[in-house]
Amino acid sequence: MLEIKNLTKVYDDGTVALDNVSFTVQDGEFLVIIGLSGSGKSTLLRCINRLIEPTSGQIILDGVDITAASPAELRRIRRDIGMIFQHFNLVKRSTVMRNVLAGRLGYVNPWLSLLGIFPKEDKERAWKALELVGIAEKAYNRADALSGGQQQRVGIARALMQEPKLLLADEPVSALDPATSHSVLKYIELINRERGVTVMCSLHFLSLARTYATRIIALKDGKMMFDGLPEEIDDQRFKEIYGEEAVRVEVN
Amino acid sequence: MDNQPWKKSPSPWKYGRSALLAVVIIAAYIYSFRVTELDLPRLVTDFPKAVPILQDFLTPDVLARGEQTESYVINYPVPCGSGQEAEIPDSGPRIVPSVPCSDPKTTITVEGFDLRPDTKVQLRWLLPDGRRLRSARATTDGNGHFNVEVEIRPIVAAKEGNISQLEAELQWESTGLMPSEALKITFAKIVETVFMALMATTFACLVAFPVGFLGARNIMGTGPVGTVVYYIARTIFNLMRSIEALVMAVMFAIWLGFGPFAGVMAMTVVTVASLSKLFSEAIESIDPGPMEAIVAAGGNRLQAIVYAVFPQVIPPFIAFAIYHWDINVRISTIIGFVGGGGIGLQLQTWINQLAYNKAGTAVWAIVIVVTILDNLSSQIRKRLV
Repeated sequence: MLEIKNLTKVYDDGTVALDNVSFTVQDGEFLVIIGLSGSGKSTLLRCINRLIEPTSGQIILDGVDITAASPAELRRIRRDIGMIFQHFNLVKRSTVMRNVLAGRLGYVNPWLSLLGIFPKEDKERAWKALELVGIAEKAYNRADALSGGQQQRVGIARALMQEPKLLLADEPVSALDPATSHSVLKYIELINRERGVTVMCSLHFLSLARTYATRIIALKDGKMMFDGLPEEIDDQRFKEIYGEEAVRVEVN
Repeated sequence: MDNQPWKKSPSPWKYGRSALLAVVIIAAYIYSFRVTELDLPRLVTDFPKAVPILQDFLTPDVLARGEQTESYVINYPVPCGSGQEAEIPDSGPRIVPSVPCSDPKTTITVEGFDLRPDTKVQLRWLLPDGRRLRSARATTDGNGHFNVEVEIRPIVAAKEGNISQLEAELQWESTGLMPSEALKITFAKIVETVFMALMATTFACLVAFPVGFLGARNIMGTGPVGTVVYYIARTIFNLMRSIEALVMAVMFAIWLGFGPFAGVMAMTVVTVASLSKLFSEAIESIDPGPMEAIVAAGGNRLQAIVYAVFPQVIPPFIAFAIYHWDINVRISTIIGFVGGGGIGLQLQTWINQLAYNKAGTAVWAIVIVVTILDNLSSQIRKRLV
């Protein structure tokens, strides 16, 4: 269970990215965060694993206060939180295999890992992860030789290496075309359903959010505008979240 | 109230200021023209002075006719009885002294028979202590005969039972063309230069690689320690970069003596300064995403550097290193002039000897090697990036 209490983030330039946000995520949920660009979705996700330091508030994962963790504890907590990124964040010149193994760096012996040595189990784990996302045959290709959708699947495989309890997905399909978006989200859904990994995923399109979410949170200017089931978002709510001039765009 | 100030016409004071500025600039140019003793027409009128040097440079000393020698040696006891006299054959190529032995301070005649016709002959004493003493010169006639007077100086006297020998050496140019001595030296020195540059670049990379990370903002972070280290590193780069290679070379030549070692060290320091800055800029321009991903997965800073930064910066690092190797070959020609060894030192020697043909050989060798290396390095860089 993930509890977020009164989370606030104010950037150095005075921008209030998150304004007193509180909610709780139950294990096994597929939580989608929607909102316009700049509404605080990325900041929220990055505060959870403290890639961004929150200004105030608490984040508690299974009873452990992440916001109070020391650097060493934080690294241990981060192992339980997988993350996938809008721009995949792969090392383009490295092989797919090496990128996937990098997901295991929090677990392995740090000195051996610097020499590129990984235990056998981790290599097997990497093969299984790549098979799960259907790109095992690309294992020894350079990451930048893959298509966008394939690269994001490498990103998912890398996150799987952590055997996470929680998966943060920061606009995982914004850089992909609609058809590919579905294939990537299906893999995230698979991990959510079959492995019971809690997912927090930010998305631009409401239609995508409705398809995959078990619950939706909407942010606007760093404030929570909505917290509820996908079908509860009607035209009135939609205009509140996206503004009066917004027009619904369907992605199927 | 005038709220369109740009439409106001400039004040007379502004015109005056422009005029003053113009006067100052003109005065500065007039002065600099005088102080630098510019006399452009002399470029043309004095051109004849440059012609010989240009000719020599354009006709480098590359090939030479090989020199062949043939020598004949006989025993010659001074004074008589101090040793075995020479046995002179009756026929075949031979040299024959007028007397088989003699006392010091006399003069004898030496004749040669059936030698190579029309050839220069150098007579020499091979002294008992191993030294060689030049004596008379002669030239054989059409029949291979020469005849020359030789003075017996006291120094050729026998010592401790060992007697001097008389050598006649015939010298002539062979018909085939051979690489000249200058070309051989140039080749050896240019190879030395290329490897000096290689060593300097290698040492510099070993230093600049870790140091480059210290001067990269995104690696050092925004903490107090990181910031201090970052600024110290950057300051050192800039201070080092302000010292010219030539000055470094003079310093190291005094420290370590003339020669390639001093040259390598001078180039190393200069290259470290330049490479460190390039390396840290390459590190700063990486995609931060992969680092973020590794930190998010629970990796530590070192792991993030090795897994996310290294793969991104190694190709530009190699490209910069090869480029600096190329630069160092060029610099080393100059560094040689102040004692840094390599082709530069040789070039300076030849110029001082007014041996411009030989200097030309060195200059051409530098041009060729730099061109080749330049192409090579740009090819490699193209493949890397």
